[in-house]
Amino acid sequence: MSDADVLPRFVRDHRRALTLVVLLLAALTIVVTVVPGGRQTVTDVSGVITASYLASAFRLTVPIAFAAIGGIFSEKAGVINIGLEGLLIIGAFTAIVTLHFLPETTAIWVIWSAFGIAVIASAFVALLFAIVCIEFKADQVIAGLAVWLIALGLAPFASIIVWENVNSPSFVTFSTVSIPILSDLPSIGRLFVATPPVFMLIVAVPLAWYVLNRTTFGKWIEASGEDPKTLDTAGVSVRKVRYAGVVLSGVFCGIGGAGLALNVGQFVGSGETMVDGRGWIGLTAYLIGNYNPVGAFLASFLFAGLDALQIQLQQIAGYDVSSTLIGIIPYVAVVVVLAFIGRTRMPSSAGEHYESDE
Amino acid sequence: MSSGEGGNGDDGETESGGSGGSSDADRGRGGDWRDRGRQTLDWLVNASAAQRMAISLAALVFAVIVGGILVFVSGFVATCRQPVLYIPLLGESCYNPAQVYWTMLEGAFGSTANLARTLQETTLLLFTGLSVAVAFRAGLFNVGTQGQMVLGALATGLALVPLGSVLPDSIIGMLVAIPLGLVVGAIVGGFWGFIPGAMKAYADANEVITTIMLNFVATGLAFYLVSEHLGDPGTGSVQTVPVPSVARLPPTIDGSRFSVIALVGALLVAVAIYLLYDRTVLGYELRTSGLQESAAEYSGVDAKRNVVTSMSLSGALGGIAGAVYVMMVHYRWQTGMPALGFDGIAVSVLAGNNPIGVVPAALLFGGLKSGSFAVDFALGVPGELVVVLRGLIILFVAMPEFFRMLGKYYDFGSDPEPVATDGGERR
Repeated sequence: MSDADVLPRFVRDHRRALTLVVLLLAALTIVVTVVPGGRQTVTDVSGVITASYLASAFRLTVPIAFAAIGGIFSEKAGVINIGLEGLLIIGAFTAIVTLHFLPETTAIWVIWSAFGIAVIASAFVALLFAIVCIEFKADQVIAGLAVWLIALGLAPFASIIVWENVNSPSFVTFSTVSIPILSDLPSIGRLFVATPPVFMLIVAVPLAWYVLNRTTFGKWIEASGEDPKTLDTAGVSVRKVRYAGVVLSGVFCGIGGAGLALNVGQFVGSGETMVDGRGWIGLTAYLIGNYNPVGAFLASFLFAGLDALQIQLQQIAGYDVSSTLIGIIPYVAVVVVLAFIGRTRMPSSAGEHYESDE
Repeated sequence: MSSGEGGNGDDGETESGGSGGSSDADRGRGGDWRDRGRQTLDWLVNASAAQRMAISLAALVFAVIVGGILVFVSGFVATCRQPVLYIPLLGESCYNPAQVYWTMLEGAFGSTANLARTLQETTLLLFTGLSVAVAFRAGLFNVGTQGQMVLGALATGLALVPLGSVLPDSIIGMLVAIPLGLVVGAIVGGFWGFIPGAMKAYADANEVITTIMLNFVATGLAFYLVSEHLGDPGTGSVQTVPVPSVARLPPTIDGSRFSVIALVGALLVAVAIYLLYDRTVLGYELRTSGLQESAAEYSGVDAKRNVVTSMSLSGALGGIAGAVYVMMVHYRWQTGMPALGFDGIAVSVLAGNNPIGVVPAALLFGGLKSGSFAVDFALGVPGELVVVLRGLIILFVAMPEFFRMLGKYYDFGSDPEPVATDGGERR
């Protein structure tokens, strides 16, 4: 294979990501050259980007990127899981409600139990979704939407039952962990002081990539979504692989949701709940990242970085940025990217039921 | 899935991109979400009316049962002054599911005021339910009715304010103001449906994703516009100036905010949509364009334009729901609009996406929503219960196979013709 073959292929595989980058650069150029005072603004904004800004961006990436990785496993295995948002809500709520029923101490086992039970709860709901899709052949898109809508009602409902309010009181939060030596480095040291979910994400991204691309299980996942018949012929149960994929998406969403809630120490159930569309952003992050965990992570980080930027800019006097407007940027970006790219290259059998001939 | 082109259609994609949409269905690409929509439509079309009704009823019954279990279990966790049930070993429960549902029924239909509230909800749900159904009939899943409604409501709320000083405060003025409000809502909602429609038709962007994203954009945009530029400066909350009385639909039942004019209008729209889709050539073309693009194009129909038309029509109905909300219920736009757009999905799937079926489904859902206020007020069961029920209904309707297996297990009658939930079974 010559270099000429490699390059277009790379471009083709990453059309969405490249379009996004080009669009962002174009927008930046317009701001710097055309908009009055734009250059000053860009200078000011880039001044905000410090190690502590990056640290907060990483923290905000946690729920989005975990949802995205979960979505990749499920959809690659052939089950479109658009209920990621709902699974995040389940994870976030379960983590906090577990803290409510555990003794009020800062002992380390308390918060990790809450974390573990949240992951189990989310995985369990994902398992139910898998049964509905695989055994009862439900329409995956409608069933996934139902998972979101049920979680959107169930979490505030249960909050009111437990706390007589859609929002919970405050509980303990994850304390930060420092990586020895690295955290003592000047200026970038802050990047190595973070809560456990952030470090878990840093481990999960390459791990997910490795599992999907370099292991037998990853090959099964891929085949289950692309060519289930061949997988079946090879003697591997398509059903089991799909179950594994969906349940894994629940595990990842559980980590993301619990990480989100345990960083804050509270569950907020008003409006769209504290998850507030992060699952949907995660879904689009893996579409932009073309089902690659690393690409999905980068897209998630980009969106979370925007969110963190808005928080930082609010603190600079003279910048009256509407947080709502910045908040809708990820959604607008996705719509624009889809308008330019359109069709997403899904696993070819995703969304279909597979009947084994045996 | 037709396996004509083999599994790895990587390169087929680039080639077919140029040759236009007519080869769409010939490509062996079962993974496309459009096919998913088609499969859903398949069972909706193939299932007989009786089967569809049976599935909807069964879904409803199961949702109510699961909801009842949820309420029952929550009763043991909730704290209340007067427990209604005592079960040895388990302890006291605050809620009795039978009582909850009975209160819900009373709260929905028990008095004129309750009935007015139910019919008010029903009217709005008719519009949002029809919005979703219109798209579904054309094989499109419009999850964006909520956003279309929010922006339609905002446009109506803003457009009607200046009319107070121009129009006479009489029936004549009303005959101008109310249709105008509807048109404004329909145009803006329709535009918000046009965007995902055009993206679907010309850029092949999946409408489920784009409409969900546009919901967030619509909510954020409306919030930004009202809180920063267009809001009522007199208040601290994010809302617009109230519309003048000339633009308010007169309440039919005293003390309520329900207008029978709006209900009759909604029913007429349901009938009109039924006639459009089942009795006219345009309706036929709209249906086939979404379901079988290639077939439609062979017969000389511009399938892409029809996809845009369907989504715009769907969005316009969502926008009208918003307009009616402003003119009949709230008299102004305010942030945090009720999730009538998502309720519309439940209404539509419960109705098997049939415009006439939307009528009883909207009434039922209106009753649920209205009754949930009473349940919250009288028994302290959170009104979010109805949100859970909404999700459960959608979930159960989406899994007809479950009921078929259940029916088989208990040997109910003869096994019906297998409903094609899966394209693969059809061949």
